[in-house]
Amino acid sequence: MAYSELIKNFARIRDYMREFYVYGFKSRDEYGAKSARSYDNERRRIESWLGDYMAFRQDAAGKNVFLSVDSRQIPHNPLYKAFKAKSFTNKDITLHFYILDILAGGHALSCRQIVDRVSGEYLSRFSGAFFPDESTIRKKLKEYEGLGLLQAEKNGREVFYRRTDGEPFPLSSWADALAFYSEEDPMGVVGSFLLDKLDKGPDVFRFKHHYILHALDSDILCQLLQAIDRRRSVELTVQNLRSGHEYRRTVCPLKIYVSTQSGRQYLLGYYYRGRRMAFFRLDAVKKVATGGEERQYDTYLGYQAKFDRHLWGVSAGAGHSLDHIEMTVRFGPGEDFIAQRLEREKRHGTVEVLDGRTCRFTADVYDASELLPWLRTFIGRIVELKCSNPVVTDTFYEDLRRMSALYGGGGDAVQ
Amino acid sequence: MGVAAMLFSEIYGSYFNVVAAVLAEAAEGCLTEGSLTELVQKKAFAESVLAIPAALKSGDWPLLGKNFEPVIRHKPTMPLTTLQKRWLKALLLDPRIALFAPDAAGLGDVEPLYKPETFVWFDRYADGDPYGDENYIRCFGTVLQAVREKRRLNIRFHSRTGARHAITCIPYRLEYSAKDDKFRLLAAGTRRDNVINLARVEFCELLEEYDPDSFRLPEKNLYELVLLLHDERNGLERVLLHFSHFEKETRKLGDRLYQIQLRYDQEDETELLIRVLSFGPVLEVKAPAEFIALVKDRIDRQAAHTFTNGGTIPRY
Repeated sequence: MAYSELIKNFARIRDYMREFYVYGFKSRDEYGAKSARSYDNERRRIESWLGDYMAFRQDAAGKNVFLSVDSRQIPHNPLYKAFKAKSFTNKDITLHFYILDILAGGHALSCRQIVDRVSGEYLSRFSGAFFPDESTIRKKLKEYEGLGLLQAEKNGREVFYRRTDGEPFPLSSWADALAFYSEEDPMGVVGSFLLDKLDKGPDVFRFKHHYILHALDSDILCQLLQAIDRRRSVELTVQNLRSGHEYRRTVCPLKIYVSTQSGRQYLLGYYYRGRRMAFFRLDAVKKVATGGEERQYDTYLGYQAKFDRHLWGVSAGAGHSLDHIEMTVRFGPGEDFIAQRLEREKRHGTVEVLDGRTCRFTADVYDASELLPWLRTFIGRIVELKCSNPVVTDTFYEDLRRMSALYGGGGDAVQ
Repeated sequence: MGVAAMLFSEIYGSYFNVVAAVLAEAAEGCLTEGSLTELVQKKAFAESVLAIPAALKSGDWPLLGKNFEPVIRHKPTMPLTTLQKRWLKALLLDPRIALFAPDAAGLGDVEPLYKPETFVWFDRYADGDPYGDENYIRCFGTVLQAVREKRRLNIRFHSRTGARHAITCIPYRLEYSAKDDKFRLLAAGTRRDNVINLARVEFCELLEEYDPDSFRLPEKNLYELVLLLHDERNGLERVLLHFSHFEKETRKLGDRLYQIQLRYDQEDETELLIRVLSFGPVLEVKAPAEFIALVKDRIDRQAAHTFTNGGTIPRY
């Protein structure tokens, strides 16, 4: 099949874009499971969509291709472009413009009337052009009804179709909101579609700490949001990101947890078979199959509210038992921002001011090891660290010893 | 058909958008071979110019006549899809929408795609901007207008220490951080560039337009940080995702050993320092020397604290 920059299936390009964006040190040969030709085609496509952000490096191991973006400097997430590259047939694009044009006057027409006009007024101008049969057009009309572009009205036995934009939508009043939410909302790709409808969107916003990779999971997220909205169970096909092993889980989807400090998104659901709450990273979810309505939905939401009270991040640890952790930090004159940091970053923990220069943070969480990265951000100021799980304090001090050794300090000085 | 199946659809695609633009130009009678190519180059992908003009001219897509006249009779438009409307309706439930006040007409009987409580932003800082505050909304609107219309601003604000300032400036961007849940105004002042937390602005007033041709965006003071990554405890993925928003390059140096070079704004040095520290011994700073000194200083200070703990690892 001839190469095209458009794609039919999103799954494969999703994997490649993630690899190029996050890793970027692999050479062609290291994309082992996929064929060399497949690699070349996918790389060429991504280069066609995102050429401005592609970079190349040649070294002894071969040529490396990677995506490098300072997302603070750009107004639009470039990864959305992948969602604008869906392939289609000649009939699809032709009927799209014909049907919307035929119905542009605001009146309703039956499928038969539309077929007659397509053939008589549009295609008749082209010799050798295809003439779609009635069933093809009927299928397209139903598809567009499903998308919300058309609405169907029954008159006797006949169905009439009309465009849904009888009243023009005030999209221009949304321009600034679209510029903001298309980047900031987890389903921002929809905003990007809408911005494409405006002649020139405003260039007002930039975004710091802006994680853009989630864009590639928008389709999965969209399906989960719909299931949550309709209170339906879902069967997830999940791929372990390290082993590649695929497995399935049937869950009641409840919430989407989003990290603003890594860009990762997770589904929190009630896992029926395990009879417990479970998190699933959205970038590991390959497929979502929506099941039946969940009658116990409110009960599971209640479990979630209770469960959330002792989460630090997205780990429930082993057996949902609680770790108690305390960290005391001391700061110097003019460093009151440390107390402010504790207050704004404490999540479900509490902060106690011991004196003008010392604060104690306390929390009871399922998995205190999740706090380790955050605790390390206070290195230099921690005067006491206690945890009911000794692995946490042992790891903290052992890491500190190794860090000291890395930078030429006497690691032994750190106990 | 559910909403889910409709996100990845050709109707949102670049090709359909470009062809709509081409047909609109044709409807105005000003489509030429040159403008056709130009439109495709501007609005579609790098290689689209090989496909779209050919398909339109050959009649594979029977939408243009021989003299580039459109076959359709109206300027092409497309109604909003249900997905688009449901997404917009969801935005109306977000507190930040008060800053934009869009016209909600047409969304009355539309169900939101999701409700705000569906999302849990578990590591977002708790001292976000006051989106419901009337003065904040008013200042945001004025700043937005100034950036859009390229006008100067008079601003009164207080700094982190509480000191009050008044400046006349050229506002050129509003920068939002999801982690901080704050907007910052980026503005060029007469003497220096300013980054002002919008929540600290007490008053702002629109002034005259400035000449955009004579204004140059201030240049960032970018430094390069070189890190060695020792891949343990899934460090490779954690680090690369965490720093993925920087312009960066990663090289594999050996088994479980990688080098990362990333460019950062000098103003963010302290923040970057604690982010590097958060990865513990997984990350080792190799350059610049000043940054290494900062890391060493923190570790040495911690070592001293720990030492005063009596040399024991406290346990609960």
